[in-house]
Amino acid sequence: MTKTIRILLLSLAAMSLVACGSSSSDDSGDAAWSYTSGNGDVIKLDHRPKRIIASAAEAAGLMQYGIKPVAIYLAQDLDLEPGLEGVDLDGIEIIGQEWGKIDAEKAAQLKPDLIVGDWWPPQKAYQGFEEGADKASLKVAELAPVIGANQEGSLEDVVQWYEGFAKSLGVDVDDAKYAAGKKRYAEAKAAFQQAVKAKPGLTALAVAPGADLLYVAVPKYSTSLTDFKDWGLDVIDPDSPKADFPYWEYLSWEKADKYQPDLLLIDDRGYDSTIDVAEKQPTWDKIKAAQARAYTPWPGYWVHTYDAYANQLEQLTRAVEKADPGIA
Amino acid sequence: MTTDLLHQAAPATRHRNGAALGVGLLVLVVVLGVVCVLSITLGTRGIGLGAIVDAFRDRDDSVDATVIREMRVPRTLIGLCAGAALGLAGALLQGLTRNPLADPGIMGVNTGASAFIVSGIALFGTQSMTVYIWFAFAGAAVATVLVYGVASFGREGATPVKLALAGAAVSAGFYAITTGVVVSNIEALNQMRFWQVGALSGRYWDELVRSAPFIVVGIVITLLLGRALNGLALGDDMAVALGQRVGRTRTVVVVTVTLLAGAATAACGPIVFIGLVVPHVARALCGPDYRWILPYTLVLSPIVLLVADVIGRLALQPGELQVGVVLGIVGAPAFIALVRNRSLAKL
Repeated sequence: MTKTIRILLLSLAAMSLVACGSSSSDDSGDAAWSYTSGNGDVIKLDHRPKRIIASAAEAAGLMQYGIKPVAIYLAQDLDLEPGLEGVDLDGIEIIGQEWGKIDAEKAAQLKPDLIVGDWWPPQKAYQGFEEGADKASLKVAELAPVIGANQEGSLEDVVQWYEGFAKSLGVDVDDAKYAAGKKRYAEAKAAFQQAVKAKPGLTALAVAPGADLLYVAVPKYSTSLTDFKDWGLDVIDPDSPKADFPYWEYLSWEKADKYQPDLLLIDDRGYDSTIDVAEKQPTWDKIKAAQARAYTPWPGYWVHTYDAYANQLEQLTRAVEKADPGIA
Repeated sequence: MTTDLLHQAAPATRHRNGAALGVGLLVLVVVLGVVCVLSITLGTRGIGLGAIVDAFRDRDDSVDATVIREMRVPRTLIGLCAGAALGLAGALLQGLTRNPLADPGIMGVNTGASAFIVSGIALFGTQSMTVYIWFAFAGAAVATVLVYGVASFGREGATPVKLALAGAAVSAGFYAITTGVVVSNIEALNQMRFWQVGALSGRYWDELVRSAPFIVVGIVITLLLGRALNGLALGDDMAVALGQRVGRTRTVVVVTVTLLAGAATAACGPIVFIGLVVPHVARALCGPDYRWILPYTLVLSPIVLLVADVIGRLALQPGELQVGVVLGIVGAPAFIALVRNRSLAKL
């Protein structure tokens, strides 16, 4: 009984805090708003954005703070989007499930006042509005300012960008209900650093095995790999990234043994099916780590929340603890 | 006297022609042999001749030996089979429709097979070619009948331009289906490139063993169809007058095209150009007799496919360019040249 009352009181306090937060910064919630985008642009609106259209995984970054977009667009089918796994999309319109194909008409009808999609420096474009997207799809970017986190640099920064974004909209990000994920993340990060420290000399390689080629991730253009490197894991840098798409080195399966890590990090978008494809290749086993089955899922460019990052780090930490630095 | 001379001259010319063509065919077979050797020796991984010989001599487990035995050899054999199948399917379609632009690529037969394959993979979750090759046949058959049917509407029948247009429309439709299925299904997504652009990479003994029997049967039937296609080339009335059962011939041709194009697509994805251009080259070399066009196409097609594949392997180191892309780049100008060439307007 007392426990219930305490919870009630706590949540009431939290609510009043939220109320305070928003009322202290302005009176009506209609004051001018601005926030700095991942490419350095400062986006300014004459009122706080209420009608947000967001790219898929980015939407998860917003929704962890209760910011609900009116619509989302995906680069692939909803079932295949790990960033939205377990996210309640009730009441959110889906206006695209294929890369480069956002339903411009629907988007226009929704009268968005802000579009959220991450900034990809190599392509100098926001998620969904890269070169090669449909013309109509590109028009969506003209409906409202586009803003997003910088996808070059640290993934922790990306997650923090969304935290800051929520804060700018008056969300009390330090509230207990948000703090749990952040705390778990901090612990997971510490545990990961510890595990890496305990395995000196351990090397890792991040790959996405495809049916025709083996794609080797370039750490510089993967925010998660950038963090892992910063935290002590030796992630191998491939030497010949594709010139016009520098996220990956495209490697023919004949040369699959070019890099020999102790641990393989495998892009987790469609993980099981990817492993099937990889194991079909005669040269997969010529990567010693593959032969030793030393591989683990790696979040391919979709993490936007402390919770998701904590989960991924915990999983990776277990793999590092099991890994054998002497394989390669 | 004069009539006598004429009577003697005709068979004599044909005979000499025949001998020359026979020698030409032998030369092409030798060229094909050389191309096969190149296809086994050249690739993204530099492997010395000594290591290649070793790969065949002793069963060692080195990376080089694995690449040769389990990748380059089946890849070359798939190229042989698929090339021959696509070329012959094109020759058959051109003979059937008497249309210079008839080709399993242009007519959407390969894209039809692809669309059915990805749909099959999505619906039944199978990655086994033993199963999805049947979807390929169904797709190829549907596309052939659909395009030829649509193009035949109207008084002039299936003119080259109408056939190309109907083919483009149906191809686009099937391509949309393929893309739609691919983006919503992870099994298909991982194989995506094959079903959108054909490739010989990533295809090994499994794919060869499961498609080759159908292709071999298709090749044998095709080589027996030379006389019947010569009959069709004279027009239906003449063919009937010569005692041919035109309806039956057409059915056999359509079934064989389905078999060849379907199996080739199941083996390496949709590939254009080969079926369109190689039969024309064969025709330019040996005249209008299908009994020569077919064997020439049979040998020339894999030469073109394998050379294109080797180029694709070396073009984008350390990655590869799919052979479908290489052929697409060469294929577009060839297609335009064919459309603009008036002498080819009617077969």
